[in-house]
Formats: sequence, C-alpha cells, structure tokens
Amino acid sequence: MIELFIRLLRRPQGFIGVVLLLLVAAACLFGSALAPYAPEKIDFLGRFRAPGWQNWLGADQFGRDILSRLMVGARSTVPMALIATFIGSAAGAIIGVGSAYLGGRSDEAIMRTNDAMMAIPGLLLALLLVSTLGNGASNAVIAIAVAFAPGMARVTRSVALNVRNQDYVKAAIARGESASWIIFREMLPNVMAPIVIESTIRVSFAVMLFATLSFLGVGAQPPASEWGLMVADARQYMHQAPWGLIAPSGAIALTAIAFNLVGDGLRDALNPKDER
Amino acid sequence: MTPLLAIQNYTLDYATSAGPVRVLHDISLQIAPGEVLGLVGESGSGKSSLAWALMRHLPDNAREVAGSLRLGDIDLQRLGPKELTRIRGRRLGMVFQDPSTSLNPTLTIGTQITEALIQHRDLKPREADALAVDLLGHVDLHDPAAIMRRYPHEISGGEKQRVIIATAFGCRPDVILFDEPTTALDVISGARILELFARLRAETGVAALYISHDLALVTRVADRVAVLKHGRLVEQAPATEIFRAPRHADTRALVEAVPRPERRLVHDRPSGVVLLAASDIDVHYGNAGLFRKAAPPATKKIGLDVCAGEILGLVGESGSGKSSMARALTGLARFSGRITFDDRVIHGARDMNAAYRRDVQIVFQHPDSSLNPRHKVDQILSRPLKLYGGDAADIPRLLDQVRLPASYAGRWPHQLSGGEKQRVAIARAFAARPKLVICDEITAPLDVSVQAQIIELLLALRAETGTAFLFITHDLNLIRQIAHRIAVMRRGEVVDLLPVENFDMDHVHPYTRELMAASPVPVG
Repeated sequence: MIELFIRLLRRPQGFIGVVLLLLVAAACLFGSALAPYAPEKIDFLGRFRAPGWQNWLGADQFGRDILSRLMVGARSTVPMALIATFIGSAAGAIIGVGSAYLGGRSDEAIMRTNDAMMAIPGLLLALLLVSTLGNGASNAVIAIAVAFAPGMARVTRSVALNVRNQDYVKAAIARGESASWIIFREMLPNVMAPIVIESTIRVSFAVMLFATLSFLGVGAQPPASEWGLMVADARQYMHQAPWGLIAPSGAIALTAIAFNLVGDGLRDALNPKDER
Repeated sequence: MTPLLAIQNYTLDYATSAGPVRVLHDISLQIAPGEVLGLVGESGSGKSSLAWALMRHLPDNAREVAGSLRLGDIDLQRLGPKELTRIRGRRLGMVFQDPSTSLNPTLTIGTQITEALIQHRDLKPREADALAVDLLGHVDLHDPAAIMRRYPHEISGGEKQRVIIATAFGCRPDVILFDEPTTALDVISGARILELFARLRAETGVAALYISHDLALVTRVADRVAVLKHGRLVEQAPATEIFRAPRHADTRALVEAVPRPERRLVHDRPSGVVLLAASDIDVHYGNAGLFRKAAPPATKKIGLDVCAGEILGLVGESGSGKSSMARALTGLARFSGRITFDDRVIHGARDMNAAYRRDVQIVFQHPDSSLNPRHKVDQILSRPLKLYGGDAADIPRLLDQVRLPASYAGRWPHQLSGGEKQRVAIARAFAARPKLVICDEITAPLDVSVQAQIIELLLALRAETGTAFLFITHDLNLIRQIAHRIAVMRRGEVVDLLPVENFDMDHVHPYTRELMAASPVPVG
C-alpha cells in the first residue's frame, strides 16, 4: 500500500493530483475555521467588490466573501460527490461481478437492462430522479449514484469475465461454495484495481454533475454555498462581476482535474507491467 | 575447425530493485558448422536469456558483465541496430516456443513469409511468392498456395510452427535458435515437428542451438548436450553419452526424472470395488442462441469407471475431450448421461450434494491460476476445512502432508514457485479427505524434475489415504509408470481402455500405437 503510494507520487500527474487533492481535503476539513469571513456575512458596502486585499477573490451581490464561501462550500460539494461515486461504484461493481458469475441468460438479462439504463444520458437520468424524489442534496446524491452504476457495472463485468474463467473460481464452484462467497471473496478482490481507477476518475464527473444539478436548482438549495449553486447565483451578474462566476467554476474544474490526475496516476501505479 | 557460434566466458546480470541478479555465470559454448547443440535446464536456469542475448534482444535491465558472443568472425555485442537487422533472420534465425503468439494475427501467412524472404534474400515479390509456396510444401503442408492466403487463426498450432520453421530455414541462416519449439504442441504434432527438423537439418546442414527442459527430447535431436543449472554450465557431453553416463549429479537428477514406462512406481492392485461409474457422458458447452445452434458435445457418450484406490489414466491429444470429462465429473460443465457414485445416481451438477463435492476433488493444470492471488495460503486451505468439517488447526498438518514448511501458511501465492503452488492446490484437494482426486494435466506446465517430485508426492498421499486418482495427461510415458488402467481418448471418444500391462500387445487401437510412437522411450 505504501509502496503503491510512493509509485503514485513518482509520476508527475500523480504528484500534482495528490497535492491538489490535499488542498481540497484541507478546505473540506478546516474550511470554516480558516475562512477569513463567515460565509453568510452580508456587507452592503462591499457589493461586487473586485478581488483585492479585502476580499481576495472578490465579493458577490450581497457583499459576501467569495473565498470564504468557496472554502466552506467545499464541504457540501466534494464529500457529496465522493459519497455518490462510492455508492454508484459499489452497486455497479456488485451488479457487474454478479452478472459475470451467473452467466448465460441471467447475465444477458442483467446486461441488457443495464444497456437500456446507459442509453439515457447521465444528467437526464439524474434530473428525472431528482424531480421524482424531490429537490435536495441527499436526493441528488442518490440520483448521481444511480446514474453511475450502469457504467461501472459494464466495466466491472468485462474484468470479472476474465476472473470467472480462472481456475480458482472453478475450484470454488467444484468445492460447492455459495454464490455470495464466490462473488464477494473470490472474484471481487481480483477486480478491485480497475474499479478503484474508474471510480477516482468518476468522482470528477460527480463533482461536475452535482454542481450542474445545483446550478439547475434541483440539488443543494440557497443559501448553501455549494459551488454549482454559487455559479448559478453569479450568472445574473456575469457582466458586472465576472469573478463571482470564475472562482467557483475554477474550483470545480481544479477538483475535477485533481481526481482525474490521481485516477490516471493510480492506473499507471497499479499496473506493474509498466514499470521501467 | 573454427566454431560457427562461440560464446566465451559470458556472464549476464539483471538489475532489479533488490540489486543485480546473476542469471548466467561464465558460460562458454561452441557450435561447429552443421552441429546441433542441445541446451537443457529447468525453468529459471537462464537458457532463454542466453538465446535472447545471442539475438541481441535483451531487456533494458540486462547488464553484460563479461565475455564475448561471436558468430563466425562477427562480434555480436558490437553491432549497431542497422547491422543487427542484417544479421537477424539472415545469419541467425530463431523459432519461438509458442507458435500462436509468434505470427501476427492480422496478416496472412503469405505476407509474413514473403516479407522475410524479400528482406533477407533480396528477392522480388514474385520470386518470394514462388519460393514461399515451395518452402511451405517442403515442410509437408498440404496445399501451400491455400495456406499462403490464410490468417494464423485459420491453421492449427502444428501448422503454424511449420510455417515459422519454413520461414527460418527459407532465409538460409548459418545458425537457428530453437526455444522449446514443441512444448506448446500436443505429443503427436510435436513428434512430427521433430521429424521435420531432423529432415531439414540433414538437407541443409544448418547449425542449431536447441533449447528445452526435456532431456529425453534433446538427446534425440542434438549432437551434443549442454546442461545448465542456476545459470552455470554443469556438463557438456555427446548426446549419446549423456543419458547413459551422466557425470554430474545435476545431470543425473535430470536423467532420473525422465519418466520411463518400464520403471513402474505403483505395485499394488486396486480393490475392484467400483467407486465412480460414469456412462453415456455428453459434455455441452454454450446454449443454443436465437440465431445459432448449440455447439456439438465435446465428448460422445463416454463411459468410464474408477475403482476404489485405483489410478486411472486418461490420455489423448489436446482437444480430445479429456478435460471436458474432468469438468463434467466435478459439475463445472453441463452434461447429459449419468454418474453413479456411492450408490447415488447423478444426472447433472444440481444432483451433486455436499458429500459428492467432498469426495470428488479436482486439481487444475495451471498452478498460477488455481490459487486466488488475493488469498494467503492458510485462507486457501481453510475453506475446504470450513465447508466439509475440519479444524483450522489442521493447516500445518496439511502443509506437512505436501512437504511444505508450516511457515508457508502466511505466504501469498505469488511468493511461491510453480511446484510449490501445485503442492498447495494438492493440499487443498486432500483437505477434504476425498475418495477420488481428478488431476487435470497437473504436471504439464512443470519441469521434468519438479514433475517427478509431484508424482512422488501424489503416490505417497495415495499410500496414506487410499484415494483413487483420475489422472489426465498427454504424457504416455509418465502415465504408464503409475496407472493401473489407461483410457485413450480421441475426438471425444474413448478408443482404448486397457490395463497398463496390455499396452505393449498387438491388439491396441491404431491411434494408441501412434501415440506410443510419438512418445518414444528415452535412449540408454
């Protein structure tokens, strides 16, 4: 595990990704303590104040400090995206491995249903679910998880099919092991590497999807300082105060890039064949 | 006479994260024009590294510490990339182990041969075409013109190896390196490749370095044999002498390990009580789909019975359905027909209850894939104990039974060698205290010497527990050492089922005779 981490840090994309992620993590954990102002502190004299010594990233239409809002908002954006990806990946992985294990007609039925789900664009599916379940951050998390599961199921199944043909799985079947033991203990640990890589990359999509849902007004609700919501709020004043739009968009982009870089780095680090 | 290929005091290291590892120590070998030198050694003895060093295709972490490699008057180590292209193929040919990966699957056979001929013999495309047809005909391929238009997946493994040999000989090199050219083939196609090699060699007088782990095979093709052990040359002798009078202890061990049918290892007789009787077994793979028919059954109405304590051999070439039988008997493949075991009749995998699962165990061919890489040895061994009743405290005893130290319980499979992994797989099978163990080619991927140890272990376990074995193999010499009865399979049918002592008689099936001719008893 430590060796893997060192290998990850040796690669430039892994190193940059990890540093960016540490910054994001610091904002999530200590954001409210470190923020120079309270996120909801209104300052009518400082409306649309340009970035400067008072407000490093400028102020919004109520004179709220954008940097403070970003730092506090990290906690309501990034962990949500992580939870959504985790639930989606776990469900997808179990469906994929289970489908590969069952094989034959059950596999066919599961994967065709999966294909039908994948035919609906992720954002549309998430919107559909949120509008059925009702607005709110926790429902957005469920919607994103459901939107992610089919893709994960497909990736996992293709790897699990290889594992299914390995003799240790056949040995377990011949021994009379139960299906759940074979799926969870024999097969799942051997397909973990691609799942971990895929889900790290997917976290960045989740951050963006979550922000998009909030931007559309169905995710987090005002006055939360969720990043997508901040973009939505700042949109009206785009020409007066572009910094209100740029700062949260930049934060979303940086987080997405950080997870992507770590995902790429992990893919290389987990593939020992690549070692030179 | 000056040697054609001379290796002088050659020493090679691989740089690894744990420091340099020496793979070849001070090797000196010579091959005279027209001579075939056999190079024998266990896996990991450095024989393939030597071949790659001669081809100048070493991995990046290889460090040549000392010595020289000379082909005629050329110093191979000094050649640049451009000069190497002129040497490779043209003066120094190579035939690889696995024919299925040494041809490009996206090019036709014709393109691949003519390309080599145009490159190395400066022919015009039309001349190369004509020569290629000629060469393919010369390696006994039927209808060479048709083969030229085919892709590698459209011809069999033996045919692919012939194509590669034709290409290698067609470029008229001075020396050809053969790296285990028959290991990946079944017995009969392997034997034919050897005949072909002997004929082409007599015709062209090419010199060759023939690498193999099988001493018996090398003594048949080579003039001289060199034995390599842990990167050191332990003995060099004429092929006719090395089998009869091995001087070095390591060579003697290799000679001892070669299976000989006349040296029986099992002397008792089975009880005659039938333990498992299978009749009319048809093994099916794949369902009929909406637009395609189901594949024909892999075996055709096979009947077999195994007595308590008996060793039944099942031999045949690859694709004859022997492994399908093993899968049917363990419920891994769908089958029709019936199995009677302990007075219970079984019609399918669903009928196999826990008692049957316990009593019939299987050991697979590839030790690398039969142990879950994410489970430690103790976890692997604890599963059958948990399922069939037993105590985790038994694990040291199980390891001891297969001659492994108890400390191996804490190891991961990748920390074990191939033979050790196979021992763990055997321990896992015996943890259930089975009445029948099915061994599906369990020694095929192992070296001859490791094979001998595994066989010895199985026989010791049998003496201890009285277990019956269904031993599936393609090595007729090996099975004639241990089996009580042998069933010969071909294209899904049992063509012969004989007690082992009747094998030398006249009334055996012609196919059985062909198999016996393809696996000759070692000389000496």
